[in-house]
Amino acid sequence: MSLLDYYRQFEGMSEEEVNAGLREEAIERKRKALMRVQTLDLSQTTWPELPHPSIVGAITFVARRGMQRYPHLRGSQLHDELAERHGVDPARVILGNGAAELLSSAARALIEPGQRLLSAWPSYPLFPIMARRAHGQAVRVPGGVDALLEEAREPGTRVIAIASPNDPTGELLATGELERLLAGLPDDVAVLLDESLVEFADAQPVNSSLELASEHSRLFVVRSFSKAWGLAGLRVGYAIGGPGSEELLAELQPDLGVSEVSQAGALEALRTCSEIVARRVAAISRERTAVTDGLRERGFEVADSQANFVWAAHPAIDGGELSARLARAGILVAGGAALGEPRHVRIGLRDSTASGRLLDALDKSL
Amino acid sequence: MRTDPSDNGGLFVGRRPGTAPVHFRGLPQRGSELRRRVDGSLAGILLAGMVMLSLLCWGPIPIACLWIAAQVNYLSGSVSLGIFVAFVGLFVLLFGALAILRRLDQAWILVRRAAGHDQRTGVLGRVFAVTAVICGGAFVLWFVLIHGPGSNVMPGNKP
Repeated sequence: MSLLDYYRQFEGMSEEEVNAGLREEAIERKRKALMRVQTLDLSQTTWPELPHPSIVGAITFVARRGMQRYPHLRGSQLHDELAERHGVDPARVILGNGAAELLSSAARALIEPGQRLLSAWPSYPLFPIMARRAHGQAVRVPGGVDALLEEAREPGTRVIAIASPNDPTGELLATGELERLLAGLPDDVAVLLDESLVEFADAQPVNSSLELASEHSRLFVVRSFSKAWGLAGLRVGYAIGGPGSEELLAELQPDLGVSEVSQAGALEALRTCSEIVARRVAAISRERTAVTDGLRERGFEVADSQANFVWAAHPAIDGGELSARLARAGILVAGGAALGEPRHVRIGLRDSTASGRLLDALDKSL
Repeated sequence: MRTDPSDNGGLFVGRRPGTAPVHFRGLPQRGSELRRRVDGSLAGILLAGMVMLSLLCWGPIPIACLWIAAQVNYLSGSVSLGIFVAFVGLFVLLFGALAILRRLDQAWILVRRAAGHDQRTGVLGRVFAVTAVICGGAFVLWFVLIHGPGSNVMPGNKP
């Protein structure tokens, strides 16, 4: 460094130069922020949006009123509202801490050690787990109602667990098929029908299975506020049984009930957010069609989904590889390996922007 | 009336306007302790040079210009030419000296920073003010005590 350069390094920048530098830094920050693409998480089946403010308000109101009491076991407003909405005897409705807990409780109540729980496969991964927790035997049955009926004739079969729409395939069990299953089962086999995703289905009336429950005492329909209602964090679900199932239902409900805070949120959702849910369902229906068509055009095998996701497989690419490629493009999908079918991926549905981004990423990834 | 923008009762944490730290283009590589001392001495020399040059502006330069103008007047016999030369000479020499002073001031700032001081402003204004007082005082002393105004009240040393 020369002598003059040594002293020139102590020259300060003028205010204009400093401001110009700051402006350039701000422009660069803005450019980077605009270039940053948020990861699109399509691996979950829960609703991605925040709950409606009125739900948060109802929860806050109850929380501020005091939480020193135990919640109501029976006769709560939510319980009565659900019974009235579905047109069933309140004694045939119970609340639980989410559909999963109700299904597990039902499995424990129904299955004696060593008895069998059948579930169509691939299906909700909790089904085999809840059989093991009840010291029973989980039997995975690939195929439809006929396969289940055949397997149910094996001695020791006690419960059939079905998700409709099924997670992860999204397929809906038609009311006629369910009726055929109930009619063909041995007398001592109960059916646990997990309808956590049923609000997204538009192929048949949402409450058609409840009409069957009124005729078949061994059918237990379990629903949830976690999916279309977007309240997974509240852990509220409910079960509806047939006539004569009241005693069993009483066994299934949580020992100290469901949190009043959670009940308040779910009740507010029922009263004020039905239209919002209807709009969500309509939007999901549109995206389901668009994504299914788009995937099939790209050579995918896609199950006929009635849920807020699609179950797809590419003939040439393994599900794990496909999910890894999409992850590199900033899109997360659920690989099929953990859901019972490694060739597949489960792709959640959002809006048209997400669908477009997904299909673009697939075009680049394939 | 409060006039200090940063006197806000502690509500905001800010800095007084005009007191921002110096922004360098790159982190300066400072010299050794010896070099800093040398730079400190160099800053003193530059300051002394500025004082000297500033003193020239208040006396010797105008006198020199008047002397040159008188010589021109004597040689050419033209008063106007003498006045013109005096003005041009004053203009060139004073503004030249000011330009040099400004450069010296900038150099003094850099050398002070190199010596390790957080020098944000120059010293030219203060040097000019101080030398003006010194020269003004010296002129008053010379005028009153040595040369005299030539009045009846203070006759001075006229024969």
